[in-house]
Amino acid sequence: MQVREFMTTKIESIDADGSVYDAVEIMVDRHLRSLAVKVSGKSGKASIEGVVTARDIVFKVLAKGMNPKNVKVSEIASRPIICINQETNIEDAAAVMEKSNIARLYVSDGEKVVGLVSMLDIMAAELIISARGSYGS
Amino acid sequence: MVLERLLSLGKKERDVTEDMRRHIELLCDACKTFKAALENEDRKLMREVIDLERQGDSARRGVISHIYEGAFLPYLRPDLCKFVEVVDEVFDLLKDTATYCLDTDLPEPLRGECVRVALLNFRMSEMLMIAFDAMLKGQDLREKTLAIRIYEKKIDDMKFSIINEAQQIPVSDFWSGKMLSDLISGLTSISNVIEDASDHLQILNLSTR
Repeated sequence: MQVREFMTTKIESIDADGSVYDAVEIMVDRHLRSLAVKVSGKSGKASIEGVVTARDIVFKVLAKGMNPKNVKVSEIASRPIICINQETNIEDAAAVMEKSNIARLYVSDGEKVVGLVSMLDIMAAELIISARGSYGS
Repeated sequence: MVLERLLSLGKKERDVTEDMRRHIELLCDACKTFKAALENEDRKLMREVIDLERQGDSARRGVISHIYEGAFLPYLRPDLCKFVEVVDEVFDLLKDTATYCLDTDLPEPLRGECVRVALLNFRMSEMLMIAFDAMLKGQDLREKTLAIRIYEKKIDDMKFSIINEAQQIPVSDFWSGKMLSDLISGLTSISNVIEDASDHLQILNLSTR
């Protein structure tokens, strides 16, 4: 089973110049664990430059007593994002997560980021693979 | 297990289960054809979905008449018929959605997500077939019905992002907006009805134990 069947295509993002406080607001409001960090290029087209996770915010800002309103997300974002091709199978995606010690992978179609796959998606796919058994193979 | 024993009672029961299997097989074909037609903007293929619905209708009539000719114990017949009727509702919804697709051009920003929903609908129909086969073998359906619920939840999540995206698309008049809205609504509701069918299968499985 390929990740494109199980990825989430709605990628929530924040501008690189936004504050960590803005990121906290979005993440708490929408129950998200990470946000893509976008940078606008000269052509006006935004690209994903990094990712900011709840872990980054708590460990790098809040635990150090810093004011989240005074820190830009670009200062704490993890870069570069780790991407896999949309045709990658679920087992290989899980292996990349394990190797990189991350919970979410971005999914690309060529140069374009088209989705996101999380650990929960991997587990759901595993249940479906088990339920399908040898059907269609 | 009990169903297996019931099947061994006679040819009538075997005929019914073969017809029911054929009915679900046609549903898988219709979902697969719909997905390919939507992906490739192939109107001829989209019309085939409507033909498959007609074949599904005739398969449904076959099952119902075989049941009332005396197949299975009377207490099982309403549940068997209900299951077949729910599968037929999926066909109806698929046909309506195919008709909307023929009458309206799906805007490009929505195509990718709509094709993904169509693919997941197809996967759900396959899972319904797997669950039906498992029931005939007297196996537990828990894993299969859970897989169907996972797919349904995924499509439900996608539905709202498609609606949000659709809100940004300008429409020329009321009717073109309504057609687009009905297309999205039909496409994203198919999974609900397949989930209902899987629930009925579970009931059927329990009532034969």
